[in-house]
Amino acid sequence: MKIQVNGHETFISTGGRNFDPNGEVLLFIHGSGQSHLSFLLQGRFLANRGFDVLVPDMPAHGLSKGDAPQTIEEMADWYVDVINAAEIKGNVNVIGHSQGGLVAMEMARRHPEKVKMATFIATALAIPVNDMLLDLAKNKEPRAIDAMMDWGHGPAGHMHDHTMPGHSHLAYGRQLMSANEAGALFTDLSACAAYTDGAAAAAAVQCPSLCIFSDMDKMTPIKAGRKLADALSNVEVVELKNAGHMSTTERPFEVNIALRKFLAN
Amino acid sequence: MSGNFKFDTLALHAGHSPDERHGSRAVPIHQTTSYVFQDTEHAAALFNMEVGGHIYSRLTNPTVAVLEQRLAALDGGVAAVATASGMSALFVTVMALCSAGDHIVSSSQMYGANINLFEHTLSRYGVTTTFVAPNDPEAIKAAIQPNTKMVFGEVIGNPGMDIMDIRAVGKISAEAGIPLVIDATFNTPWMIQPLKHGANIVIHSLTKWMGGHGTALGGAVIDGGNFDWGQNDKFPMLTTSHFGYQGVNLWEEYGPGAFAARVRTEGMMNVGPCLAPMNAFLIMQGIETLGLRMEKHMSNTAKMLAFLSEHEQVAWVKHPSLPDHPDNKVAVELMPKGQGSIIAVGIKGGREAGRAFIENVQLASHLANVGDAKTLVIHPGSTTHSHLTPEAMQAAGLTEDLVRVSVGLEDIDDLIADFKAALRIAGKVAGAKS
Repeated sequence: MKIQVNGHETFISTGGRNFDPNGEVLLFIHGSGQSHLSFLLQGRFLANRGFDVLVPDMPAHGLSKGDAPQTIEEMADWYVDVINAAEIKGNVNVIGHSQGGLVAMEMARRHPEKVKMATFIATALAIPVNDMLLDLAKNKEPRAIDAMMDWGHGPAGHMHDHTMPGHSHLAYGRQLMSANEAGALFTDLSACAAYTDGAAAAAAVQCPSLCIFSDMDKMTPIKAGRKLADALSNVEVVELKNAGHMSTTERPFEVNIALRKFLAN
Repeated sequence: MSGNFKFDTLALHAGHSPDERHGSRAVPIHQTTSYVFQDTEHAAALFNMEVGGHIYSRLTNPTVAVLEQRLAALDGGVAAVATASGMSALFVTVMALCSAGDHIVSSSQMYGANINLFEHTLSRYGVTTTFVAPNDPEAIKAAIQPNTKMVFGEVIGNPGMDIMDIRAVGKISAEAGIPLVIDATFNTPWMIQPLKHGANIVIHSLTKWMGGHGTALGGAVIDGGNFDWGQNDKFPMLTTSHFGYQGVNLWEEYGPGAFAARVRTEGMMNVGPCLAPMNAFLIMQGIETLGLRMEKHMSNTAKMLAFLSEHEQVAWVKHPSLPDHPDNKVAVELMPKGQGSIIAVGIKGGREAGRAFIENVQLASHLANVGDAKTLVIHPGSTTHSHLTPEAMQAAGLTEDLVRVSVGLEDIDDLIADFKAALRIAGKVAGAKS
């Protein structure tokens, strides 16, 4: 569906089902340079299991208009604006991947009344970004995308071994990221690089949490993920074997099962 | 595991991880029509496209899926759908893009069945086609109408071997808001990946160089994922509610993979030209050595060209690598590793001499195929393109004396000796005639 958020047209996938703002709402938060499509295999699955799913594209990402938020905090506030624009009166379950996990943490800290439960997939207390990647994102975006697709995928991705018959992880990811507005990736990565408040944010998260980490994640290594889990007070942890950073597409079955089990509680 | 693998590695491995239960190193042949659901919820999830997996082999099959993923990897596409033949790949592509009242701009220099499909079959269903010389981008641009839904051609025209500069044509089609669809059979992704040079969709006859051994028919559609289907209202099949699958909007829900999803959920579902798993296996056996074979195809072709160009019984030789080919510069730019292993050659003495040549080669096989490991020869004017009108023959670059040679992998000395002997007999026929 398309709604207006802060005066800009915003695309939100509802997983192929009609959205009820009074239902059990799941709000998915995508990662740097990504879009709703990185949750392609979660949104439809959970929407068909009784949840009311919202997978928005942030401004300048996917099919949404407007300027990309500049900081993790601004992103957190924007997602709350989405909740309000979608006329959701209650709280929601947030599910963030990578950068989206930082945003989910900030939402839970800044707007605890809006967050019922939080899931952090392939994320950490901080996601430092090296200068080389930032430089590529600013000046040679296609090369930055190629590098992220390489680092972001584990064996299944590099072997083009997809659960969706006929699909290529790497090429799909490249085209997904290339479809965003130019500069959106650099803005996202800069926001990640500048975010250093993760420990305080995690400590402030009071809602039940789920962490899903991958043992072959090069972008947010599992050791960094475990530090996030240690900083959360009410947390369950699932560690996926033989998976990279893009676990939502590389290991969709396992991610979906973990989400469903957690949300059922 | 790290690094993006290169071509020869992908040709051997892409799409497949050894299964955990049996550890089979080769891709298993899943000779099954259907798949047992775990429970009713799993069945519903598959039908709702909530999870990946297999329902029925008309739609997907595990062996075929490995081939599809390998093809997507080799061509740089986001997804691939394998079909029973190259012709069915073209048909399901057109079906996903065009409806009655729509229009196609196509190269005039194509495989005869392609021309037939556009001119005689699709026209009965209200889809019309304008045929244009492939090496004239301005004419292609001029032929585009408001109802045009695709530009279609081959990088290397068959059999005239004019070259479509897909960089220029890709810009033209992009400006018109329509995709460029390329039949890449004659080039294979080893020579050029059209998706990186302006094409949006690639189709293949896998029967030819990809399989490479003349043992299995097959085709494929590769979705480049690099076309914005939502930029205009020309493609409602992709940007509005699907007739099935809970009315899914493929562009919104599948993004770069929307076109492949439409091919799968309509072309394969409603028409059903699925590839047999055994054929997928045989084609993958061929693809494993594609790089090796293509290198030998190219080197043998270069030596054969040198021989034919100097032979007194040869009236003319046409190949994109030759400096006198009108599109030589573009061909070398687009395909620096080689410009293909098809040679068009005119035998002095016209049709009778050509017939004598074809009937007297011993190693080369006279048959209607190309891209085999074995060398093949044919006279298109009396076989593959015999149904064309004189005007269409001229547009396709066909002349009465044209013999098409698909250079194989034999020892080139043996092959040249075979051709030399057959040309000697053709010369006698030509002499007797004169």
